[in-house]
Amino acid sequence: MAAAELSVKLQSSSGSKVKDFLNANLVNILAAVLFLLLAFFLLFPIVMVLLKSLRGAEGFTLQYYKAFFSKQYYFQSLYNTLLLGAINTVVCLVIGFCLAYMTTRGPWILRKPLKLISLIPLIAPPYLFALSLIIMFGRNGLITKMFDLHWQLYGFSGVVISQTLAFIPLAFMMIESTLMSLNPNLEESAYDMGASEATILRTITIPLLAPGLLKAGLLIFVMTIAEFGNAAILGGRTPFLAPDTYTMITGESDFNMGSVLSVILIAPCILIFFIHNYLLEGKKFTTIGGKPVASEPRKITPLIKVPFMIITTVAAGAIFICFAIVFIASFYKILGVTHNITLANYLDFTSNQSIYNSIRVSFVAALIGAVIGVLLAYVIVRGKFFGRTFIEMASLSGFALPGTVLGIGYLLAFSAPPLKLTGGIMILALNCVFRFLAVGVEAGISKLHQIHIEIEEASADLGASFLTTFYRIVLPIMFPAFIAGFLYTFMTAIVSLSAVVFLVSPGFDLAAVKIFDAAVYGEIGIASATTMKLVLIVMICMMILNFISKKTRLGSSMAPTKPT
Amino acid sequence: MSMNANEKPMLILKDIHKFYGNNEVLKGVSLEVRKGELVTFVGPSGCGKTTLLRLIGGFTDISSGDIILDGQRINDLPPNLRDTRICFQNYALFPHMTVAENVGYGLKINKWPKDKIAARVHELLEMVELDEFGDRMIDKLSGGQQQRVAFARALSLEPKVLLLDEPLSNLDANLRLVMREEIRKLQERLHITTVFVTHDQFEAMAISDRLVVMKNGLIEQVGTPIEIYERPANEFIAGFVGYVNFMDGRIESIDKTTCNAVVHTEYGQLMITLEQDDVKTGDDVLMVIRPESVSLSLDCQDKRQNVICGTLVSYMYAGSIAKCTVMIGNKKMIIDQYNPRDAQQFLHAAKVEVEIPRSVHLLKKKK
Amino acid sequence: MKRKFIAVIAAAILSVVFAGSAMAQEINAYMGTSPDNNAKIAKFIKDKTGITVNQTFQSCGEIEAKMKAEAPNFSADMVIGACSPQGFLAKKSGWTVPYVSPAWKGVPEVFMDPKGDFYHIATFSFVLVGNKDRLAKAGYKMPESWKDLLDPKWKGEIVMPSPLSSGTANMMRFTFLALYGDAEGWKYLEALDKNIHHYSRSGNAPTDLVGRGEFMLGITSDENVKKRLNDGYPLLWSIPAEGTGYDGTTSFIFKTTKKLETCKKIIDLLGTQEFSDMMAAIGYVTPRPAMNALYGKTLPKFVNLDLGKASDDKAKNNDIWKQKLRTDFK
Repeated sequence: MAAAELSVKLQSSSGSKVKDFLNANLVNILAAVLFLLLAFFLLFPIVMVLLKSLRGAEGFTLQYYKAFFSKQYYFQSLYNTLLLGAINTVVCLVIGFCLAYMTTRGPWILRKPLKLISLIPLIAPPYLFALSLIIMFGRNGLITKMFDLHWQLYGFSGVVISQTLAFIPLAFMMIESTLMSLNPNLEESAYDMGASEATILRTITIPLLAPGLLKAGLLIFVMTIAEFGNAAILGGRTPFLAPDTYTMITGESDFNMGSVLSVILIAPCILIFFIHNYLLEGKKFTTIGGKPVASEPRKITPLIKVPFMIITTVAAGAIFICFAIVFIASFYKILGVTHNITLANYLDFTSNQSIYNSIRVSFVAALIGAVIGVLLAYVIVRGKFFGRTFIEMASLSGFALPGTVLGIGYLLAFSAPPLKLTGGIMILALNCVFRFLAVGVEAGISKLHQIHIEIEEASADLGASFLTTFYRIVLPIMFPAFIAGFLYTFMTAIVSLSAVVFLVSPGFDLAAVKIFDAAVYGEIGIASATTMKLVLIVMICMMILNFISKKTRLGSSMAPTKPT
Repeated sequence: MSMNANEKPMLILKDIHKFYGNNEVLKGVSLEVRKGELVTFVGPSGCGKTTLLRLIGGFTDISSGDIILDGQRINDLPPNLRDTRICFQNYALFPHMTVAENVGYGLKINKWPKDKIAARVHELLEMVELDEFGDRMIDKLSGGQQQRVAFARALSLEPKVLLLDEPLSNLDANLRLVMREEIRKLQERLHITTVFVTHDQFEAMAISDRLVVMKNGLIEQVGTPIEIYERPANEFIAGFVGYVNFMDGRIESIDKTTCNAVVHTEYGQLMITLEQDDVKTGDDVLMVIRPESVSLSLDCQDKRQNVICGTLVSYMYAGSIAKCTVMIGNKKMIIDQYNPRDAQQFLHAAKVEVEIPRSVHLLKKKK
Repeated sequence: MKRKFIAVIAAAILSVVFAGSAMAQEINAYMGTSPDNNAKIAKFIKDKTGITVNQTFQSCGEIEAKMKAEAPNFSADMVIGACSPQGFLAKKSGWTVPYVSPAWKGVPEVFMDPKGDFYHIATFSFVLVGNKDRLAKAGYKMPESWKDLLDPKWKGEIVMPSPLSSGTANMMRFTFLALYGDAEGWKYLEALDKNIHHYSRSGNAPTDLVGRGEFMLGITSDENVKKRLNDGYPLLWSIPAEGTGYDGTTSFIFKTTKKLETCKKIIDLLGTQEFSDMMAAIGYVTPRPAMNALYGKTLPKFVNLDLGKASDDKAKNNDIWKQKLRTDFK
């Protein structure tokens, strides 16, 4: 192991046996500690959920699973969830593709604004769309009243629309990054030889993108079925697994069935996580050789251009309108019902208190998460022990797990001493830490790949102990990754709903839950204003992130996705 | 290679301008390329050579000017309707298709019947000596093989003009030399008009019929390799195509009958055989002295014509060539000694004699 | 320089984590009435005794879930204002402190557990609400009997809470089952289901939804009705001929509390006339007789209920509910 060899080469100035031992094995010790942390805060709660689903009053039993598969109600819920996932994935992929195609190959003027709009939903909680749909199409909705519509917002269609809008940025980002890595010369060659735009798409672009599209699709599917907010707010009488899990625990306080639902929800996620990371890894059809060339706008034939433009415009327009509506609604008590503009929503004390709490929790989570993320990255890249890939997999898995499941897991695992954490800020923070660890870890890994081990060896050659090298060389270089992890965790934690809805305690309201409560209660004004405040906070974070990554050339590997 | 001077040019570029936003990348480029000619655009990074190539191919719009291909103005035609074919630097081979499918792609798009496609693909692969490789996937080929496939694909539709964008840049040094020859041979055999872009001036000189030296969006000089090397039009070109020593001088007299000129320099008077007529007595000139044209001798006698004394500062012996640096006064002169004799003595020498050749190109200095 | 930086960060974390954990006399409570009423009760306690009550609104179902998850080490000191099933469960599981409060002397038995394990600081019922404007526009009158709700003209225009998440709805359900008997009761619920647009998460939501005109009718908890009337919402309310049910707004002390004396003081306060007066002014039916703001002098007709049985049957009823009632199958 590099570190061990380094310190063996040096004359250790201190001479103490313990220090030598530490120096030699620091990476391993660190790895062990981190592994314990992961196991404890990520795997242990999941195991608890699994156990709860199998353990009845008299010991191990499959009765709960039997009940799940035999009762119509649960079956419907599962079916709806899977169907939602499928529809959502397809629609998001199509829209994301059109958007990405336009921003990489369309006319220059369109590119920046389109990209901006496609990414804007990232800064908002996913349930913002549910909110805006209620304002427009609810029973008292603006459009409902204007056109005397009889369309039922609450139900399957409402959830599909809001989920689709919420996940467009994810699809867009993944497809855009694949499209950009596609050598434009390939399409130009085909064009040169007479292929029409449609033919290029059919024979060149899409076949080459296929692995990337598949990857994106799988990820979208997983995140859609796990997302709680939209389905809970707009579901109406249509059951979906995520909100059902919530009702099972908080409504019927049936932890056994709740755990069963959680396990059923996790199953596709874990499966897809494996496929995504291990089967599709490396199966990329990007170009061989040569440097990437910026893609110039092409004359796209109307056959392709028109439908793409329509889809793009509709999607972008919808996103823009939703944001605008919520913004406007924040100034009314109930838009469409009351008619005076007011700032009362923004000044509402309880919602401000909840935002303050959210900031506190997210800050702590971000700090811990960034530290652990960076350390994990180091251990994964530089460590040479057995089980390294397992640790990497474990640290990334938080992403794939539905928030509701981890919330329940934490509730089960940490309610009783000596592990009692419920009722406080730490359980909320830790939950966020381990769910969103992946970004800090990925950022750290990518940054570390840029630092050759030789730099650390040079430092050692000049007389530094391992600790000193780590402290003076590695950490400063990894600082941008730390910041990235910090800001990202902060941004995601602050809008996250799915897990925290189980873990809030008296006197400790969180903004996301407050918005959810308000939306369900029909207090649209408060919900909108609190949402807008969250959006503002997240926007500021993103700008800081952007600023820092420009200054340190962190690169565009920081694709922030948003599990909630 | 001989060609009919009265033949209409295959490709004419008329006063081409290209703006990217406010940035003018091509500032008025005009050129005529004859049929069957291999013309190379060469110049430092950012000179506009690749942009110009892409303009000809139709991948970028012209801001102003005309492109005329075989008598037809093609400004507004998309790439597939121009009879030009491009071969990109990174080959742009379709990774999800086999070699045969790649080469036959254009034919398939243009709806050739299947058997004709097969025949033509076979013919092309034979031409580039890859006829056994039809069923291979692209990623199983070496760099040189991929190059050849790209070449074959570009030729598949029998274009009037072949555009090659730094095709050899991704190959290692030895392979470059080999491929360079092969491409040139193939091009000559097919008699196909070719525009080649490279940043490697030696490559350009080795294979081109004519070079187009570009800088900052303008053409500095168009000429055969010999013309460019021996009679560069300005300092930049002189220094671009090879190492050059410049020496200041003033023309004192010109003998019209013998074409001898006496040039006064700070190291004495030099006798030059003039092969140009753009300088006259009294002009201040810059002498273009190539390192390999200077003779080096031990000791300094300083008695013969065109001989200057100097101090040998470094002598790097490399077998077939010795690279020497000689200080003349306070000016440095680089000299290449091919087949170096008395190398042992030169290694320890201090004073040396430099003989400036008679035949030296003169650049008129701007006032 | 680096050390200072770390120290500052560490201090920042600590201060952020522990900010807000003040020291004065205070307890944590799970409260389940409504966000508004929770605040009112907490304020009352603070004003009269100086004790700060930290609370967040949780529905009765959530409180029950929390208790089950946390047992036997609860994060809260007491529960104020849950529903009777929680009281029964807590007592049965041995989580409560039996405390016979002297302040509750003279209160009718139905309001407390004989051993003092739990107290109902009020009872609440459910009523029928209607939107005045929309009913007028449609030319409909408020239904006089619960059976009138089955009329097809109300299709999609009624909201009520879901017993899966709301204690109030649980009360509605066990009232109808008690009123019509099990077999007929379920028949009624299934027929009613055809007219229900959706089941809301919380028991008070229908008051708001109907008040805002999104639906014509709602079956809702009576807790918030008075307030919304005062807020100016165009609400009509009534109790149909058959009467209504009731459930206790239950409070009890957790055995594990470290602030037993403080909690006892609170229980005492909750038994006073003053407290009853305050609750009656909101619209609750109170332990001590007080002028009820909603019902006035005449309390509604109550259906005969066995709260203990209702509590025992809850899980079974939930199961049947999920099986029988329409959920959208796409």
